[in-house]
Amino acid sequence: MKITSPKVSRRSLLRGSAAAAAASLAHARQVSAQNAPEESAFEAWIDLRLTVNGQAHALTVEPRVTLLDALRERMQLTGTKKGCNRGECGACTVLMDGRRVNSCLVLAASAEGRKITTIEGLADGDTPHPVQRAFAEADAFQCGFCTSGQIMSAMACIEEGHTGSPEEIREWMSGNLCRCSAYPQITAAVAAAAEELG
Amino acid sequence: MLFHRPETLENAIGIMQAGPVRPLAGGTDLYPGLRDGPPPAALIDLSRIAGLRGITREDGGWRIGATTTWTDIVRADLPALFDGLRAAAREVGSVQIQNAGTVAGNICNASPAADGVPALLTLDAEVSLAGPGGSRRLPLGDFITGVRRTALGEGEIVTALHVPDAPGGRGAFVKLGARRYLVISIAMVSAVVIPAQDGTIGEARIAVGACSAVARRLPGLEAALAGCAPEGIATVVAAADLSALTPIDDVRGSAGYRLDAVREILGRVIVAALGREG
Repeated sequence: MKITSPKVSRRSLLRGSAAAAAASLAHARQVSAQNAPEESAFEAWIDLRLTVNGQAHALTVEPRVTLLDALRERMQLTGTKKGCNRGECGACTVLMDGRRVNSCLVLAASAEGRKITTIEGLADGDTPHPVQRAFAEADAFQCGFCTSGQIMSAMACIEEGHTGSPEEIREWMSGNLCRCSAYPQITAAVAAAAEELG
Repeated sequence: MLFHRPETLENAIGIMQAGPVRPLAGGTDLYPGLRDGPPPAALIDLSRIAGLRGITREDGGWRIGATTTWTDIVRADLPALFDGLRAAAREVGSVQIQNAGTVAGNICNASPAADGVPALLTLDAEVSLAGPGGSRRLPLGDFITGVRRTALGEGEIVTALHVPDAPGGRGAFVKLGARRYLVISIAMVSAVVIPAQDGTIGEARIAVGACSAVARRLPGLEAALAGCAPEGIATVVAAADLSALTPIDDVRGSAGYRLDAVREILGRVIVAALGREG
């Protein structure tokens, strides 16, 4: 990776090259731009604090790492699934400040300071969240790969109040694909959970 | 890769001026595009600049901040003039994409199939830019210059879009895709109609997307629609000269199919914008 900003000193450029050559030895580093005191510029590796399911996680990542990869590979929160990795399937849906987003399209560095909720954050101990229970009771999955994304999307769909009819649920859940085509059961699960959470 | 995360516009412009850096807002177009190649040398995340986001009233119209998301548009309390833009906002990708993707990102990405562009063209939107040389403002039609090409100069970023008031105006939008969400448009039509006192069309603004390198207005059809009664719309649309459109044949549809589709949805959109059932 080439470092082109003139605000980076030669020394930090060399350190950046070293980091790229020997990633395991790289240290997190923050470079403050000289004439832009409020700005934060990060090179090669970033120290981040992410708040996931109410817990603070400290991690050191390359700036290009997505929130999805940070969750799965760094925090071992593998409930969030990587499907298409380009924003087309919804399997990686998480809540960011209460709104559903595709975590494959968010950089971990951009998620700092936001409140992230993943599938692991829903259950209360061993007691599943009502939306999780509704999916199990309605048999709203077959292979299950899309399910955590479907459930996170359903959480937001219910919160947004888009559960007035099966048609409305289908429309507002349309960002989540299910290759097993469990859509009727998913729609029923969302409707049942919405009624319970009323 | 260098990653910048400024919190003020001044800092952002300073960083842009200092060297080549790729602007990042919602990331929904940028990030999938980076999957197959090396990352850019530097990224600048504009999403933390507070003044860049939100919709506000301004003298003679509305200001839409650059990093306003499509969900922000859907949820905003806007007059019927914006019905076309609101409908387009609902069909950008999926709800997840609408929560992240931004209005300025859509115009800067400059895809021929950008869902927001036809509606913004019919709103006579103007684009505010800021850069090392100061600020400037130009019509959206002059801002997007080609497939993935814009008038952005070196070190410039979009700060806002401006939509002038059009009292009585109502917007409408129809996107034709293989399904309604998570698809790239085959053809899109947006319209704004300002009715006359007698129920005829006072002023019509029509734009077609995904059928030319850049979405475009149809001034000939707009002129033919002025003064037209609702029952005359079908005849005017049937006779409309669509030769300004240059659709392509691709996996989503043939050029001929696209032109047929445009003529069909033109009629529906114009009738809807006039406030009649299609």
